[in-house]
Amino acid sequence: MNSVLEQIYSTILPSAPYVIAAYALIWAAMLVYVVYITVHLKKTEAQMAVLEEMFAQRQVDVTESIKKKD
Amino acid sequence: MAHDKDKLAVGGVLDKISPVVAALGAILTTLGFILAFTTAGVVIGASVDGVELIGDEMISNQLLFSQKIFYFHMPCGAASMIILAFTAYYGIRYLTTRDYRYDIRARIATEIGAVLVICTMLSGMMWERFEWGVWWTWEPRLTTYFILTMLVIAYFILRTAIDDPERRAVFSSVFGIILFVDVPICFMVTRLVPSSIHPTIFRTDSGLSPDMLVPLLLVMFGMFCVAYGLFRTRLRGEMLAQRLEAMKQAVDE
Repeated sequence: MNSVLEQIYSTILPSAPYVIAAYALIWAAMLVYVVYITVHLKKTEAQMAVLEEMFAQRQVDVTESIKKKD
Repeated sequence: MAHDKDKLAVGGVLDKISPVVAALGAILTTLGFILAFTTAGVVIGASVDGVELIGDEMISNQLLFSQKIFYFHMPCGAASMIILAFTAYYGIRYLTTRDYRYDIRARIATEIGAVLVICTMLSGMMWERFEWGVWWTWEPRLTTYFILTMLVIAYFILRTAIDDPERRAVFSSVFGIILFVDVPICFMVTRLVPSSIHPTIFRTDSGLSPDMLVPLLLVMFGMFCVAYGLFRTRLRGEMLAQRLEAMKQAVDE
Protein backbone atom coordinates (compact mmCIF):
# COMPACT_ATOMS: atom_id res chain seq x y z
CA MET A 1 0.00 0.00 0.00
CA ASN A 2 1.42 3.41 -0.90
CA SER A 3 1.93 6.07 1.76
CA VAL A 4 -1.13 8.15 0.75
CA LEU A 5 -3.47 5.17 1.06
CA GLU A 6 -1.83 4.31 4.37
CA GLN A 7 -2.62 7.80 5.64
CA ILE A 8 -6.20 7.63 4.31
CA TYR A 9 -6.87 4.34 6.10
CA SER A 10 -4.70 5.11 9.14
CA THR A 11 -7.59 5.59 11.62
CA ILE A 12 -9.65 2.58 10.64
CA LEU A 13 -7.84 -0.21 12.49
CA PRO A 14 -7.09 1.88 15.60
CA SER A 15 -10.75 2.94 15.85
CA ALA A 16 -12.17 -0.56 15.30
CA PRO A 17 -11.92 -1.65 18.98
CA TYR A 18 -13.83 1.47 20.05
CA VAL A 19 -16.54 0.96 17.44
CA ILE A 20 -16.89 -2.70 18.44
CA ALA A 21 -16.91 -1.75 22.14
CA ALA A 22 -19.60 0.91 21.59
CA TYR A 23 -21.94 -1.51 19.84
CA ALA A 24 -21.16 -4.31 22.28
CA LEU A 25 -21.91 -2.08 25.28
CA ILE A 26 -25.24 -0.93 23.78
CA TRP A 27 -26.18 -4.52 23.06
CA ALA A 28 -25.06 -5.64 26.54
CA ALA A 29 -27.05 -2.89 28.30
CA MET A 30 -30.19 -3.88 26.38
CA LEU A 31 -29.57 -7.56 27.09
CA VAL A 32 -29.13 -6.93 30.83
CA TYR A 33 -32.47 -5.12 30.94
CA VAL A 34 -34.24 -7.82 28.93
CA VAL A 35 -32.82 -10.48 31.29
CA TYR A 36 -33.94 -8.40 34.29
CA ILE A 37 -37.50 -8.15 32.90
CA THR A 38 -37.58 -11.87 32.14
CA VAL A 39 -36.28 -12.91 35.57
CA HIS A 40 -38.77 -10.57 37.29
CA LEU A 41 -41.63 -11.98 35.21
CA LYS A 42 -40.63 -15.59 35.88
CA LYS A 43 -40.44 -14.95 39.65
CA THR A 44 -43.88 -13.34 39.63
CA GLU A 45 -45.37 -16.19 37.60
CA ALA A 46 -43.84 -18.75 39.98
CA GLN A 47 -45.32 -16.95 43.01
CA MET A 48 -48.65 -16.73 41.21
CA ALA A 49 -48.57 -20.51 40.60
CA VAL A 50 -47.86 -21.15 44.31
CA LEU A 51 -50.74 -18.89 45.30
CA GLU A 52 -53.12 -20.55 42.86
CA GLU A 53 -52.12 -23.95 44.21
CA MET A 54 -52.76 -22.69 47.73
CA PHE A 55 -56.21 -21.42 46.74
CA ALA A 56 -57.00 -24.74 45.06
CA GLN A 57 -55.90 -26.64 48.17
CA ARG A 58 -58.05 -24.39 50.38
CA GLN A 59 -61.00 -25.03 48.13
CA VAL A 60 -60.47 -28.80 48.50
CA ASP A 61 -60.14 -28.43 52.30
CA VAL A 62 -63.37 -26.40 52.51
CA THR A 63 -65.24 -28.93 50.35
CA GLU A 64 -64.00 -31.84 52.49
CA SER A 65 -64.94 -30.09 55.73
CA ILE A 66 -68.51 -29.46 54.37
CA LYS A 67 -68.78 -33.15 53.38
CA LYS A 68 -67.64 -34.22 56.85
CA LYS A 69 -70.31 -32.02 58.49
CA ASP A 70 -72.91 -33.63 56.28
CA MET B 1 -63.51 6.95 35.10
CA ALA B 2 -64.58 3.64 33.48
CA HIS B 3 -63.09 4.91 30.21
CA ASP B 4 -59.85 5.79 32.06
CA LYS B 5 -59.77 2.27 33.54
CA ASP B 6 -60.11 0.75 30.08
CA LYS B 7 -57.24 2.89 28.77
CA LEU B 8 -54.99 1.74 31.58
CA ALA B 9 -55.86 -1.95 31.37
CA VAL B 10 -53.17 -4.32 30.15
CA GLY B 11 -53.77 -7.17 27.75
CA GLY B 12 -55.56 -5.03 25.17
CA VAL B 13 -54.54 -3.96 21.67
CA LEU B 14 -51.47 -2.09 22.90
CA ASP B 15 -50.13 -5.34 24.37
CA LYS B 16 -51.23 -7.55 21.50
CA ILE B 17 -49.18 -5.48 19.05
CA SER B 18 -46.17 -5.13 21.34
CA PRO B 19 -44.36 -8.35 20.26
CA VAL B 20 -44.86 -7.35 16.62
CA VAL B 21 -43.61 -3.82 17.27
CA ALA B 22 -40.61 -5.16 19.23
CA ALA B 23 -39.77 -7.58 16.40
CA LEU B 24 -40.12 -4.74 13.89
CA GLY B 25 -37.75 -2.71 16.05
CA ALA B 26 -35.21 -5.52 16.05
CA ILE B 27 -35.47 -5.83 12.25
CA LEU B 28 -35.18 -2.08 11.65
CA THR B 29 -32.17 -1.69 13.94
CA THR B 30 -30.46 -4.68 12.35
CA LEU B 31 -31.15 -3.35 8.87
CA GLY B 32 -29.90 0.08 9.89
CA PHE B 33 -26.76 -1.50 11.34
CA ILE B 34 -26.08 -3.38 8.12
CA LEU B 35 -26.65 -0.32 5.95
CA ALA B 36 -24.49 1.83 8.25
CA PHE B 37 -21.53 -0.46 7.63
CA THR B 38 -22.18 -1.20 3.95
CA THR B 39 -23.90 1.54 1.96
CA ALA B 40 -23.40 4.56 4.24
CA GLY B 41 -20.49 6.70 3.18
CA VAL B 42 -17.48 7.16 5.40
CA VAL B 43 -16.95 10.58 6.93
CA ILE B 44 -13.69 12.28 6.02
CA GLY B 45 -11.24 13.70 8.53
CA ALA B 46 -7.92 15.48 8.36
CA SER B 47 -6.33 15.97 4.96
CA VAL B 48 -3.46 13.76 3.85
CA ASP B 49 -0.38 14.41 1.72
CA GLY B 50 -1.84 13.42 -1.62
CA VAL B 51 -4.92 12.20 -3.45
CA GLU B 52 -6.04 8.68 -4.27
CA LEU B 53 -8.87 7.29 -6.36
CA ILE B 54 -11.03 5.04 -4.13
CA GLY B 55 -14.11 3.66 -5.82
CA ASP B 56 -15.21 6.53 -8.04
CA GLU B 57 -14.09 9.35 -5.75
CA MET B 58 -10.85 11.26 -5.34
CA ILE B 59 -10.01 11.06 -1.64
CA SER B 60 -7.50 13.38 -0.01
CA ASN B 61 -8.56 12.98 3.65
CA GLN B 62 -8.48 10.35 6.35
CA LEU B 63 -11.54 8.09 6.44
CA LEU B 64 -13.16 8.13 9.89
CA PHE B 65 -14.47 4.69 10.80
CA SER B 66 -15.29 5.77 14.37
CA GLN B 67 -18.16 7.88 13.01
CA LYS B 68 -20.10 4.61 12.54
CA ILE B 69 -20.86 4.77 16.28
CA PHE B 70 -23.16 7.70 15.44
CA TYR B 71 -25.77 5.42 13.84
CA PHE B 72 -26.70 3.96 17.24
CA HIS B 73 -25.43 6.68 19.55
CA MET B 74 -27.83 9.32 18.26
CA PRO B 75 -30.95 7.10 18.09
CA CYS B 76 -30.31 5.95 21.69
CA GLY B 77 -30.10 9.59 22.75
CA ALA B 78 -33.24 10.54 20.84
CA ALA B 79 -35.18 7.55 22.20
CA SER B 80 -34.09 8.37 25.75
CA MET B 81 -35.47 11.89 25.41
CA ILE B 82 -38.77 10.68 23.97
CA ILE B 83 -39.30 8.10 26.69
CA LEU B 84 -38.45 10.60 29.44
CA ALA B 85 -41.20 12.76 27.98
CA PHE B 86 -43.53 9.90 28.87
CA THR B 87 -42.15 9.95 32.42
CA ALA B 88 -43.29 13.55 32.70
CA TYR B 89 -46.63 12.83 31.00
CA TYR B 90 -47.44 9.95 33.33
CA GLY B 91 -46.30 12.07 36.27
CA ILE B 92 -48.77 14.79 35.32
CA ARG B 93 -51.53 12.20 34.85
CA TYR B 94 -50.84 10.74 38.28
CA LEU B 95 -50.96 14.16 39.93
CA THR B 96 -54.32 14.93 38.28
CA THR B 97 -55.96 11.50 38.81
CA ARG B 98 -54.03 9.91 41.75
CA ASP B 99 -54.36 6.60 39.89
CA TYR B 100 -51.34 4.46 40.95
CA ARG B 101 -51.20 2.86 37.51
CA TYR B 102 -49.82 6.10 36.09
CA ASP B 103 -47.09 6.04 38.71
CA ILE B 104 -46.15 2.50 37.63
CA ARG B 105 -45.99 3.64 34.02
CA ALA B 106 -43.84 6.64 34.94
CA ARG B 107 -41.41 4.41 36.81
CA ILE B 108 -41.14 1.93 33.94
CA ALA B 109 -40.64 4.73 31.42
CA THR B 110 -37.82 6.10 33.57
CA GLU B 111 -36.26 2.62 33.80
CA ILE B 112 -36.16 2.30 30.03
CA GLY B 113 -34.98 5.90 29.81
CA ALA B 114 -32.13 4.98 32.17
CA VAL B 115 -31.12 2.05 29.95
CA LEU B 116 -31.10 4.28 26.87
CA VAL B 117 -29.21 7.02 28.70
CA ILE B 118 -26.56 4.46 29.67
CA CYS B 119 -26.34 3.26 26.05
CA THR B 120 -25.93 6.85 24.84
CA MET B 121 -23.28 7.70 27.41
CA LEU B 122 -21.23 4.54 26.86
CA SER B 123 -21.27 4.79 23.06
CA GLY B 124 -20.49 8.50 23.22
CA MET B 125 -17.55 7.90 25.53
CA MET B 126 -16.12 5.26 23.18
CA TRP B 127 -16.40 7.68 20.27
CA GLU B 128 -14.92 10.59 22.16
CA ARG B 129 -12.07 8.49 23.58
CA PHE B 130 -10.90 7.62 20.10
CA GLU B 131 -11.55 10.96 18.40
CA TRP B 132 -10.43 13.33 21.11
CA GLY B 133 -8.23 11.12 23.28
CA VAL B 134 -10.29 11.76 26.42
CA TRP B 135 -13.20 9.90 28.03
CA TRP B 136 -15.07 13.11 28.84
CA THR B 137 -15.19 16.83 28.14
CA TRP B 138 -17.48 19.47 29.61
CA GLU B 139 -18.98 20.34 26.26
CA PRO B 140 -22.54 21.88 26.38
CA ARG B 141 -24.53 18.85 25.26
CA LEU B 142 -22.39 16.41 27.22
CA THR B 143 -22.82 18.54 30.33
CA THR B 144 -26.62 18.84 29.98
CA TYR B 145 -26.90 15.13 29.19
CA PHE B 146 -24.76 14.33 32.24
CA ILE B 147 -27.18 16.38 34.32
CA LEU B 148 -30.02 14.34 32.81
CA THR B 149 -28.20 11.13 33.75
CA MET B 150 -27.81 12.32 37.34
CA LEU B 151 -31.51 13.29 37.47
CA VAL B 152 -32.54 9.83 36.24
CA ILE B 153 -30.38 8.20 38.93
CA ALA B 154 -31.78 10.60 41.54
CA TYR B 155 -35.34 9.61 40.50
CA PHE B 156 -34.70 6.04 41.59
CA ILE B 157 -32.89 7.09 44.76
CA LEU B 158 -35.91 9.25 45.62
CA ARG B 159 -38.32 6.36 45.05
CA THR B 160 -36.24 4.07 47.24
CA ALA B 161 -36.05 6.66 50.02
CA ILE B 162 -39.82 7.03 50.51
CA ASP B 163 -41.81 4.18 52.06
CA ASP B 164 -45.33 5.55 51.84
CA PRO B 165 -46.67 4.61 48.37
CA GLU B 166 -48.76 7.73 47.85
CA ARG B 167 -46.04 10.15 48.97
CA ARG B 168 -43.55 8.26 46.83
CA ALA B 169 -45.80 8.54 43.81
CA VAL B 170 -46.40 12.28 44.33
CA PHE B 171 -42.73 13.10 44.87
CA SER B 172 -41.68 10.90 41.94
CA SER B 173 -44.24 12.50 39.65
CA VAL B 174 -43.02 15.98 40.49
CA PHE B 175 -39.40 14.91 40.11
CA GLY B 176 -40.17 13.26 36.78
CA ILE B 177 -41.57 16.54 35.49
CA ILE B 178 -38.52 18.43 36.71
CA LEU B 179 -36.28 15.79 35.11
CA PHE B 180 -37.99 16.38 31.78
CA VAL B 181 -37.19 20.11 31.91
CA ASP B 182 -33.59 19.17 31.08
CA VAL B 183 -34.59 17.30 27.92
CA PRO B 184 -35.38 20.29 25.67
CA ILE B 185 -32.36 22.10 27.12
CA CYS B 186 -30.23 19.13 26.13
CA PHE B 187 -31.76 19.11 22.66
CA MET B 188 -31.55 22.85 22.03
CA VAL B 189 -28.18 23.59 23.62
CA THR B 190 -26.18 22.76 20.49
CA ARG B 191 -28.35 25.17 18.51
CA LEU B 192 -27.65 27.94 21.01
CA VAL B 193 -24.01 27.09 21.74
CA PRO B 194 -22.48 25.58 18.58
CA SER B 195 -20.18 22.66 19.20
CA SER B 196 -17.87 20.71 16.94
CA ILE B 197 -18.55 17.50 18.88
CA HIS B 198 -22.34 17.70 18.47
CA PRO B 199 -23.21 19.39 15.20
CA THR B 200 -26.88 20.00 14.46
CA ILE B 201 -28.06 17.07 12.35
CA PHE B 202 -31.74 17.79 11.97
CA ARG B 203 -32.05 21.11 10.25
CA THR B 204 -33.68 22.35 7.04
CA ASP B 205 -30.45 21.89 5.09
CA SER B 206 -29.46 18.62 6.75
CA GLY B 207 -25.78 17.87 6.59
CA LEU B 208 -26.51 14.17 6.15
CA SER B 209 -26.50 12.59 2.70
CA PRO B 210 -29.32 10.09 1.94
CA ASP B 211 -26.98 7.11 2.30
CA MET B 212 -26.33 8.23 5.89
CA LEU B 213 -29.82 9.49 6.66
CA VAL B 214 -31.58 6.23 5.74
CA PRO B 215 -29.68 3.97 8.18
CA LEU B 216 -29.97 6.64 10.88
CA LEU B 217 -33.74 6.89 10.51
CA LEU B 218 -34.12 3.10 10.35
CA VAL B 219 -32.22 2.67 13.60
CA MET B 220 -34.06 5.58 15.22
CA PHE B 221 -37.54 4.19 14.49
CA GLY B 222 -36.30 0.73 15.34
CA MET B 223 -35.11 1.99 18.70
CA PHE B 224 -38.50 3.61 19.35
CA CYS B 225 -40.19 0.29 18.54
CA VAL B 226 -37.83 -1.64 20.81
CA ALA B 227 -38.48 0.84 23.63
CA TYR B 228 -42.23 0.39 23.13
CA GLY B 229 -41.90 -3.41 23.27
CA LEU B 230 -39.79 -3.23 26.44
CA PHE B 231 -42.26 -0.81 28.03
CA ARG B 232 -45.35 -2.96 27.43
CA THR B 233 -43.57 -6.17 28.50
CA ARG B 234 -42.29 -4.59 31.69
CA LEU B 235 -45.71 -3.07 32.36
CA ARG B 236 -47.44 -6.43 32.06
CA GLY B 237 -44.94 -7.93 34.47
CA GLU B 238 -45.46 -5.12 36.92
CA MET B 239 -49.27 -5.29 36.76
CA LEU B 240 -49.03 -9.05 37.35
CA ALA B 241 -46.87 -8.38 40.42
CA GLN B 242 -49.47 -5.87 41.67
CA ARG B 243 -52.22 -8.44 41.28
CA LEU B 244 -50.08 -10.97 43.12
CA GLU B 245 -49.62 -8.59 46.05
CA ALA B 246 -53.36 -7.96 46.18
CA MET B 247 -54.03 -11.71 46.21
CA LYS B 248 -51.44 -12.27 48.96
CA GLN B 249 -53.12 -9.59 51.08
CA ALA B 250 -56.50 -11.21 50.49
CA VAL B 251 -55.07 -14.57 51.60
CA ASP B 252 -53.57 -13.01 54.75
CA GLU B 253 -56.91 -11.44 55.61
